[in-house]
Amino acid sequence: MSNELREKALKYLWMQNRDWSQMAEIGDPPIFVKGEGIRVTDTEGNTYIDVNAGYNSVNVGYGRSDIAEEIYKQMLEVNYFPQGTTTKPTIQLAKKLSDLTPGDLSRVFPVSGGSEANETALKIARAYHVKNGDINRNKIISRRGSYHGTTAGVLWLGGGPPVASRDDFEPMYPNMLHAPQPNLYRCEFNSLDNSECAIKSANAVEDLIKFHGPDTIAAVIAEPIAIPQGAVVPGDEYWPMLREICDKYGVLLIADEVICGFGRTGKMFAMEHWGIVPDIMTVAKGIISSYLPLAATIVRKEIADKFADEDNYLKHTLTNSGHPVSAAAALKNIEILENENIIDNSANMGKYLKEQLEVLKSDHQIIGDVRGIGLLVAFEIVSDRKTKSIFSPDLSIPDRLTEKFFKHGLIFRVSNEILNIGPPLSITRSEIDEIVHAIDLSLWEIEGELGLPVND
Amino acid sequence: MNSNNLKSIASEHLWMNSKSWLQSKKEDGPRIIIDAKGIYVTDSEGNTFIDCNAGYSSVNLGYGRPEIAQVVKDQLNAISYFPQASTTEPLIKLVEKLASITPGDLNRIYPVTGGSEANETAIKIARGYHVRRGERGRYKIISREGSYHGATGGVMWLGSPNKVAEFGVPYPGMVYTSQPNPLSKKNKNKSSYDYAVDCANEVERMILYHSSKTIAAVIAEPIVSQMPDEVVSPPDIIYWEMLRDICDRYGVLLIVDEVVCGFGRTGKWFGIDHFGIKPDIMTVAKGVVSCYVPLGAVIVSEDIADAYVGGDNLFRQALTFGGHPAAAAAALKNIEIIEKENLVNNAAEVGLYFLNKLNDLKLKHNIIGDIGGIGLMLGLSLINSDSVNESLNDDFSDRLKTKLIREGLLLRTDGKTIHFGPPICINKNQIDEIISKLDKVLFEL
Repeated sequence: MSNELREKALKYLWMQNRDWSQMAEIGDPPIFVKGEGIRVTDTEGNTYIDVNAGYNSVNVGYGRSDIAEEIYKQMLEVNYFPQGTTTKPTIQLAKKLSDLTPGDLSRVFPVSGGSEANETALKIARAYHVKNGDINRNKIISRRGSYHGTTAGVLWLGGGPPVASRDDFEPMYPNMLHAPQPNLYRCEFNSLDNSECAIKSANAVEDLIKFHGPDTIAAVIAEPIAIPQGAVVPGDEYWPMLREICDKYGVLLIADEVICGFGRTGKMFAMEHWGIVPDIMTVAKGIISSYLPLAATIVRKEIADKFADEDNYLKHTLTNSGHPVSAAAALKNIEILENENIIDNSANMGKYLKEQLEVLKSDHQIIGDVRGIGLLVAFEIVSDRKTKSIFSPDLSIPDRLTEKFFKHGLIFRVSNEILNIGPPLSITRSEIDEIVHAIDLSLWEIEGELGLPVND
Repeated sequence: MNSNNLKSIASEHLWMNSKSWLQSKKEDGPRIIIDAKGIYVTDSEGNTFIDCNAGYSSVNLGYGRPEIAQVVKDQLNAISYFPQASTTEPLIKLVEKLASITPGDLNRIYPVTGGSEANETAIKIARGYHVRRGERGRYKIISREGSYHGATGGVMWLGSPNKVAEFGVPYPGMVYTSQPNPLSKKNKNKSSYDYAVDCANEVERMILYHSSKTIAAVIAEPIVSQMPDEVVSPPDIIYWEMLRDICDRYGVLLIVDEVVCGFGRTGKWFGIDHFGIKPDIMTVAKGVVSCYVPLGAVIVSEDIADAYVGGDNLFRQALTFGGHPAAAAAALKNIEIIEKENLVNNAAEVGLYFLNKLNDLKLKHNIIGDIGGIGLMLGLSLINSDSVNESLNDDFSDRLKTKLIREGLLLRTDGKTIHFGPPICINKNQIDEIISKLDKVLFEL
């Protein structure tokens, strides 16, 4: 049965970032039939820990029958709605998100994924300026090394290593500007402390605005803690400065909380670490722990009100916007996050995980850096701690690590030298020990194969 | 929470598709649906309506099928999601099914969550394909004026640049050609065949004008599902035969957008089945899962997909919710029900009955202008019967909408045209019900 399924997958399925000819050679793809907490079981009955909770997205963990039950009930009641109407759970979710998000973020446009949420945010930002008579405010500033989605309007935000090259998909979307990432470990300014790197990175945003002319800039978009470069927590100066710069020049500030939101960093939203209210916030993944597709663009009242009347409404329609079944699932998911103390758990377990990785770092020279906050933690593999250089691509370290982890019971897919860990937020201390132990063994094996000196 | 409370919360916090919340408030809305079965929905005030447009022509199966809710629940209880680089059983079964019902070698399926994502992905696959064949200069996309292919950056500029002008500088490489709608205002009394030939020739002219070396793909709905202020009829078959031939001759990929037309809407499984040609890439959404859960898919010819095999040819794209197992399980069940209950034939048969009834209605009402469409994708235009060239005013549009709602019909109208895209499970008695209500409204007006 499972071989037959695998053959069909190889013949008909186009999987994310995978090549079916290469999968065939190594007996992939794995097919999972059961999920419980942080663990998944494949067709052969093997059980693994899903270290990254899908795409850092299954925040409450697998197998919550209470969410399944809620989805079932809503689908029997009202599974969809006629054009121009809405449903109870969608309204309740809009209210809930307004309550949860900081400041006057209070108008919710529901969509079905992070790319759509960021696309919607950019459309709102640009149209907002047009409605203000600022018809040239069209450029968007993002940071090198960030990722905000895969549809054309957001694909060209961020980019650069370690994000996959976009050169297959030229032409570049117009009016994209890119600023430095406040990433201390690989700071573009070679800063030696996080504050300095943060201040210089924020100043670079202001320089870009001044260079292009403030009246051409629509918005700055950024993750509070950037993921692709590995859980980059900026210095505390960064976000207050960014807020101030945006206010000074009339530029909207968009916070992409697609990964950071819903407890991932130990707070409901990562912006709470700095007490900053963005003009627009986007959420996805953890809002519904991936039980169904859902995302949202959440907008401050004074921005949204530009679109309030009949002559100014936002001309933007997505068939699955406001889906009642997804809304019901998200409401239940948020209730679980709140009632089961999962966000505090994320803060505490994240701290423990980071400590354990620091211990691994003292044992393994190839760990160059450990960073992160809450259950968004990362470490970097380097060939030399001093120069921070990486191993030659010919050594295929990422693929070999992925294999080793798998052998030791972890699904922990590595695509470059930066390893992000973002498990379900419901994870326990002993489950973290299991993960850290498997990583430890895998690193010993790699170091042995590379003939590296071993610390004692 | 009572419905007035909910409405006031909605007007404070909810941002609905293409809607002004002040307008909703004025209309004592938004309308909140609390029950939905088959073609009927009931709002929080207890009013029942026929949803003549099935959501966004998307709830093909009709509302409230417990079989779908059951498979979704079962799947969520087994596995609700999946680790990176792995997959699940219902998704594999779904892609096998999609390969078997789509024409020719359209066999490689990339799952996404909606029509916009499907068309974005199709365009990326087309551009990346040309890059892999050493033709990096092929990036332009030809679409037809008035078409709609989605709301995200790469697809919102297709069909019309001015509708989205407030969203900034257009994405480069958009080329527009005429819509082969025989009922188009641009068609000055040519036969359907002649107009189709003109429109197809225009595509070739645009390819030559821009140089074929710069054109990546043509994207088109097999039968355009909505045109501003126009009723649509299918183009003559010669249009699609010529388009396929033109694309082949110039190495341009042909993308068929079946987001609305697919899954029985037009009385065949896919709209393109009316024309007997095979596209290089097909996109689906809506009817594939009857909107029970968000899902879309890109279905690609084997020879195109194979450009992405081996070496460094990987297609680099990930969408968190692409390939969701619960959505796949829902879609599989949806397709199974469409097959078992013969709903594609039903759409053809009942659609024809509906069309004939609309034509009968036209004999009684001078206000009806054109009638067009195929299967259960139909439309009619409203004209000023006293003076043909004078268009109907906003006041008329408001009165029309109010009366339709009072009669219990929810449908898509801009006051100048009325569109019908009901669930494809609709029967002839229900069509009679729609017609008699419409009859009454038009008499009153």
